[in-house]
Amino acid sequence: MPDPATAPVIEFRDVSFRVADTQVLAGLTLQVSSGETLVLLGRSGSGKTTTLKLINRLVSPTSGEVRVNGMPNCEVDVTRLRRGMGYVIQDAGLFPHFTVERNIGLVPKIEGWPKEKIRARTQELLQLVGLAPEIAARYPHQLSGGQRQRVGVARALAANPEILLMDEPFAALDPLTRDDLQREFLLLQQRLHKTVVFVTHDLREALRLGSRIALMEAGKLVTVLSPEEFVKSTDPWAAAYVRAFGDGLESAAKRGTS
Amino acid sequence: MNVVRFLLHNQAQVLELTAEHLWLVGISTLFAMLIGIPLGIVIAHRPRLNKPVLAGANIIQTIPSLALFGFLLPVPWLGERSDRLAILALTLYALLPIIRNTYTGICGVDPAVLEAGRGMGLTKSQLLFQVELPLAVSVILSGVRVAVVIAVGLATIAAAIGAGGLGEFIFRGLAMVDNRVILAGAIPAAILALLADVGVGWLEKRLRAR
Amino acid sequence: MRRWRQFLPGFVLSLGFLLSCAPQHANRVVVGSKNFTESFILGEVIAQQIEQHTNLKVERRFYLAGTYICQQAILSGRIDIYPEYTGTALTAVLKQKASADPSDVYQRVKGEYESRFGLTLGPAFGFNDTFAMEIRGEDARRLGLKTLSQAAGYAPHWRAGFGYEFMERPDGYQGLAETYGLHFAEPPRIMDLGLLARALKDRQIDFAGGNATDGLIPALDLFVLADDRHYFPPYEAVPVVREQLLHDHPELRSILGALGHTISDSEMQQMNYAVDGQHRDPQEVVREFLRRKNLSP
Repeated sequence: MPDPATAPVIEFRDVSFRVADTQVLAGLTLQVSSGETLVLLGRSGSGKTTTLKLINRLVSPTSGEVRVNGMPNCEVDVTRLRRGMGYVIQDAGLFPHFTVERNIGLVPKIEGWPKEKIRARTQELLQLVGLAPEIAARYPHQLSGGQRQRVGVARALAANPEILLMDEPFAALDPLTRDDLQREFLLLQQRLHKTVVFVTHDLREALRLGSRIALMEAGKLVTVLSPEEFVKSTDPWAAAYVRAFGDGLESAAKRGTS
Repeated sequence: MNVVRFLLHNQAQVLELTAEHLWLVGISTLFAMLIGIPLGIVIAHRPRLNKPVLAGANIIQTIPSLALFGFLLPVPWLGERSDRLAILALTLYALLPIIRNTYTGICGVDPAVLEAGRGMGLTKSQLLFQVELPLAVSVILSGVRVAVVIAVGLATIAAAIGAGGLGEFIFRGLAMVDNRVILAGAIPAAILALLADVGVGWLEKRLRAR
Repeated sequence: MRRWRQFLPGFVLSLGFLLSCAPQHANRVVVGSKNFTESFILGEVIAQQIEQHTNLKVERRFYLAGTYICQQAILSGRIDIYPEYTGTALTAVLKQKASADPSDVYQRVKGEYESRFGLTLGPAFGFNDTFAMEIRGEDARRLGLKTLSQAAGYAPHWRAGFGYEFMERPDGYQGLAETYGLHFAEPPRIMDLGLLARALKDRQIDFAGGNATDGLIPALDLFVLADDRHYFPPYEAVPVVREQLLHDHPELRSILGALGHTISDSEMQQMNYAVDGQHRDPQEVVREFLRRKNLSP
């Protein structure tokens, strides 16, 4: 009987996904433990985004099973499933016709939270992601890319989900802003201990943010390693990745601010 | 100016015919919105239906209006009251711009926004009413604007089958060979069309998503 | 969502405004007419009578283009009264076959209108605007012709002219020719109704199909041949009125009653001629007629 304390929060059991003539994912078996940041690393077409979307059922597997908190996610009401997960995408996907406050407060509102609680939570989250309180009344088009992405993270955390799904959230930002946000992500994780599945193609980012890195290539899981193990790995794909990213990766592999 | 004097002298009738005209245009546009907007939403979500529906609305548009009035005259219930008939015909003509613009507006919503919404656990109807429609409303209204302007023009022809409205002045003026009477119908109709264009246009701008 | 609430009062207001545009009635009477001279003279007669003898405001909605349009207008309440012809009501509106008996036609129309449409008929104005087969007065006198049966014998020597509609209607030229055995030298010429009388006078044609109350008949010395075989149905002019109007304003009954049988064929011809031939103002012509007749309920 698996120890409940170490039972995986998210589990993939031999999951495959096929679309038309393409086998997007094949035989994926993977576990994500509570409180860890699992990075899905790979190049475009490797299937990492599809893997993420299988967790909140934006995509359904052709075969195999995805389990969340022990239950196959196809047996749970999809709305409840998704409300229990924060979802952050590239470019934030903020609702352009809502203010920052309404963006962040949307899920709590439809979950029926009282107005006061929502307002308080919004202010709390803005502070958490490092934004001034006045931002609450602004519209997304009035914010910079970095500010938008912070709002996106705040929005994902609004209803206090235990799981965070992040799909290349910092990819569209300039390097300085990306660096800021990565640093803040680490601080946030230290405080909140969410279970995070983070998709990226950037090895540096993976090494810095992930507690484990799952390398994917052509729809298959190649290997799952800790950052230190990854930079020293002899696996051909991992080694190829490390080579492609050049020097100075060891310091990135040491978690914490750099 | 003769026409102005004529309009002032007959203002009761001008107002009455204008009210009849507004009624024809207003009710038919309302019906067209009640049918066309949901239809547009459906075909935006089910792309396979989009060709037949848009093609159907297009075909209706190509039928000359007077001919359509003529086809419908012998139909029982409809043909007995020409205002019913006129309202049906005007509704049919208003459908294409409204369906097409609803379709375009909804399809034009940023897919990233929709994906974020879905991923957040918004139900289909929450997504529709809180995200898609508010973002598409300006485009939909522009379709309504086109529909209203078309309806104001077509409603003048409805007088030919006895549905009343400003067209009655126009046909009367033609029979009497009196330009003032023709203009007494044509000018208010043109003003109505302009007002509708400007009015709905203003609404569009106010509601345009940022 | 908050933005929608801003527009709600505006939307409700416009909806209310829209609904108020729906056709309704105020304290006035709307008199309609078709788009030819005789019809709006009759409409004017009705309108002036109401204005003279009641406090009601009268609105004129003349020049409605045809029977169907007038029928639609009165059914929907956009007009309250308009002058119609019994024969037209029977054949064009009720789509039944007409008989030759005027009172039979009148009763049938009245009965059907009351039971089906909530409309009723006032008493007939007194003239019968049926189709009139005309020849030159001099020919009638010279040949001693009074009826169509008598004239039929001369048809092979004559050229005929008719209006377009008369040629096309099944109860028009075809039926006439069959009933009286008319065989003209050539196929009849189709002309504009307004030009028929003149063409007859100028000897371009010898036999014309016009209307009985045409003003040019006495003016150009034309003779109307009697329809001895009663081919043409009666077209008595009558006021068609909404029953609801009479219910709301019972005084209108006596007004319409007072107009019954006050206009003879020749009096109608004279008024038509005054407007069409002499280009006099219709309102004036009607005012003069009513004064002369000293009509009061």
